[in-house]
Amino acid sequence: MRHLIYVARRLVALVPVLLGITVIVFFMIHLVPGDPARTLLGVRATDESVAALHVAFGLDQPVWRQYLDFLVRLLHGSLGRSFFYDANVTELVAGRLPATLWLLVAATVLSLAISVPLAVLAATRRGSAVDQAIRALPLIGLGMPAFWVGIMLVLLFGLKVRAFPVAGFGTTPVQHLSSIVLPGLTVALALTPILIRSLRTSMIAVLDSDYVVTARAKGLSHRRVITGHTLRNAAVSSITVLGVNIAYLVGSTLVVERVFALPGMGTLMLESIFNRDFPVVQGVTLVFAIMVVVINLLTDIAHGLLDPRVELA
Amino acid sequence: MRKPLAVLAAAALLLSACSDNGSSGTPGSTDGTGGNLTIVRAGDSVSMDNTMVFSNASIWVFQQMYESLYEVTPDGKGVQPLLAESSSVSKDKLTWTFKLKQGVTFSNGQPMTSADVKFSLDAARSVKGGWEFLDVAIKTVTAPDPATVVIKTKYPWAPLLADLANFSNAVLPKDYAGKSKEAFYKAPVATGPFVWDHWTKGSEIQLKKNPTYWDAGKPALDSVTWKVVPDDNARNVQIQGGQAQVNENPPFSSVEQLKGQPGVGVTLFPSTKTDYILMNQNEKPYDDVHVRRAISYAIDREAMVKTLLFGNGTPANSFLMPNVPFYDPATPGLSYDMAKAKEELAKSSVPGGFETTFLASSGDTTDAAIAQILQSSLKELGITVKIQNVDPSAAHDLQSEQKYQISHSYWTMDIADPDELVTFAVDPTAGSKSFYTSYKNDKVIADTKKAEQTFDDAGRQQLYSAIQKQAADDAFLGFLYYSPFSYSYSTKVQGFQVYPTGNYHLEDVKLGS
Repeated sequence: MRHLIYVARRLVALVPVLLGITVIVFFMIHLVPGDPARTLLGVRATDESVAALHVAFGLDQPVWRQYLDFLVRLLHGSLGRSFFYDANVTELVAGRLPATLWLLVAATVLSLAISVPLAVLAATRRGSAVDQAIRALPLIGLGMPAFWVGIMLVLLFGLKVRAFPVAGFGTTPVQHLSSIVLPGLTVALALTPILIRSLRTSMIAVLDSDYVVTARAKGLSHRRVITGHTLRNAAVSSITVLGVNIAYLVGSTLVVERVFALPGMGTLMLESIFNRDFPVVQGVTLVFAIMVVVINLLTDIAHGLLDPRVELA
Repeated sequence: MRKPLAVLAAAALLLSACSDNGSSGTPGSTDGTGGNLTIVRAGDSVSMDNTMVFSNASIWVFQQMYESLYEVTPDGKGVQPLLAESSSVSKDKLTWTFKLKQGVTFSNGQPMTSADVKFSLDAARSVKGGWEFLDVAIKTVTAPDPATVVIKTKYPWAPLLADLANFSNAVLPKDYAGKSKEAFYKAPVATGPFVWDHWTKGSEIQLKKNPTYWDAGKPALDSVTWKVVPDDNARNVQIQGGQAQVNENPPFSSVEQLKGQPGVGVTLFPSTKTDYILMNQNEKPYDDVHVRRAISYAIDREAMVKTLLFGNGTPANSFLMPNVPFYDPATPGLSYDMAKAKEELAKSSVPGGFETTFLASSGDTTDAAIAQILQSSLKELGITVKIQNVDPSAAHDLQSEQKYQISHSYWTMDIADPDELVTFAVDPTAGSKSFYTSYKNDKVIADTKKAEQTFDDAGRQQLYSAIQKQAADDAFLGFLYYSPFSYSYSTKVQGFQVYPTGNYHLEDVKLGS
């Protein structure tokens, strides 16, 4: 119950944040030069047809009026209509959300699957050659840009080994799953260096603590000491690191979506900015903002569940 | 700690076993019929409204569904009957009578009659801000009997058949088959080889085979899917990986590398694309013909062909392209000659040079390269070029509002007649203010109007040759180069051909196994 109240309070606190974001995005996109009507009508558009489209889109109204209209629509649960695609923004976003969510989940799962074993290995064999090698990984990993890693993975696993599709998202859940491995891995490889570092450091601190010494003295197996006592306590800070980085990644999935031709939110955002499709830019930004806040919320909850000392209040 | 890694490896193996490698182009049967063809492209279509839309990404899709009375011939230089059987023109050249092909039905089963043709042409010429400019010469369209259409023109109009062949004059069912215009274009019905299936905006459009197509035995394919893949490299990789079969316009920089890939073919189809430098005559000193000539002489076209097209093009001598009827190869276009450039500038109002701003679209590598080559060439003349990079959409606005000094643009033909391009390029009242340069030469404008009303080819050739020569002399544009349309495709694809006007006919395409 206490947790539910906490979640509800956090969600209510989201409202002013989102409102602020809409104001900033709305006015920023209108500041950028470029006219959606001209972009849409092309080189041979006459001034009359451009003016007619302005009226149809409501772009002949003052900006504050357009913003109010946007807010009123939002209160009615509508994100408006896309200028470019002449389609409901909510439907466009709903069509693109799955690929981005799959990507984020795959990236999280894969980065944990890679970094936890490596961090544990490094921490338990502190100072050994294995530890040195694992500690060098972050340096290499951080130096490789995501688009390059993506292309390399495509060349290796998509074209040479032909184990995974080179691009796209497929249509069935199984196809989604196989399509998301390489993009997920690309994002995960960018995340693991930070995770390994943070988890290794906190594991080392925990391994030296009195209760681990006690646990060992009680005769617990190495595995129980690591999984039951060390990892759980060391994970607390790494969860925060993971949460912050995933929230950061929400906005930067764009590059990976482009390399792997994933029909996700990042590509929709970029296309819409180029097309000056204001309603879509607004809609996508709002959904991104909600995702970031929800990820932060989930991180806090996970934090609270792992560490009973943390008060969710 | 070996176990989690083993589990991970096993999961990856399982996943890759489940994967069909994403092959979305289902192969056809052994005789080459059936299958889905996937075409990957950088951007999505805008709308299926053929009377209003200018985007190629839309046109190339709806051309597989819509058919006109005439169509462009494969060499791009003429037209041939499509839904028309024959045509005749009266002695005074004002009345055209068309006999329609019999046995043609729309994909909803309704037979195509002259009433549909009348409705479609009237709809196409009544829109505002679309393609209605092609039909300005038409006075009336009548349907005296179901198989006959009569078009009366306001004045003799030579390009009529070429205009009718344009997609904007395609034959659609009368009254949009009982739907509203808006609803019709969301799921259009026409006479062509493919019919509407679905459109996931921003991602893909799919058309499927028209089982009742009038040209029996066509199309061979079951369906065609156009997928939006914005990244150049991702599109190339999809062809290599077998997920797509045709890649629309791979960059010239990748052509050589693609040619070496097993199972991948590359063709550079002859096109009607030409690039040019715009010089805004509303801005000083571009109103001075000597300045424009000096700049035109100073353009190193060979360097541009080498750098931008990787050798896959030719320097331009005219604002018409070699694959357009009445192009004159003898047009004395100004070619790269620094000595002459200096001579011209010395004769101009700014003999010592001046400072100017080149308007470029940010992120557009072609614009950037042209601007830089021009910048270094003009430096020799004492002209300092500053490059103003703005967002593509904003650059487009600034060009059309003529708020620029010098910039870059290009043109591709839609019809097999030079009239459309020539009118836009040299007649400031035609809608685009002479390609946004405000160029005005009364003799050229008069010749353009005369050519529209001249029916014999020799007479038209003479007029268009004179127009091309004068336009080159006036240096109203800096003609740059002619470039082909690049396409890469899986070698399984047979019969894929792009016409110089940019369109392709998928009813002739087969997919081998």
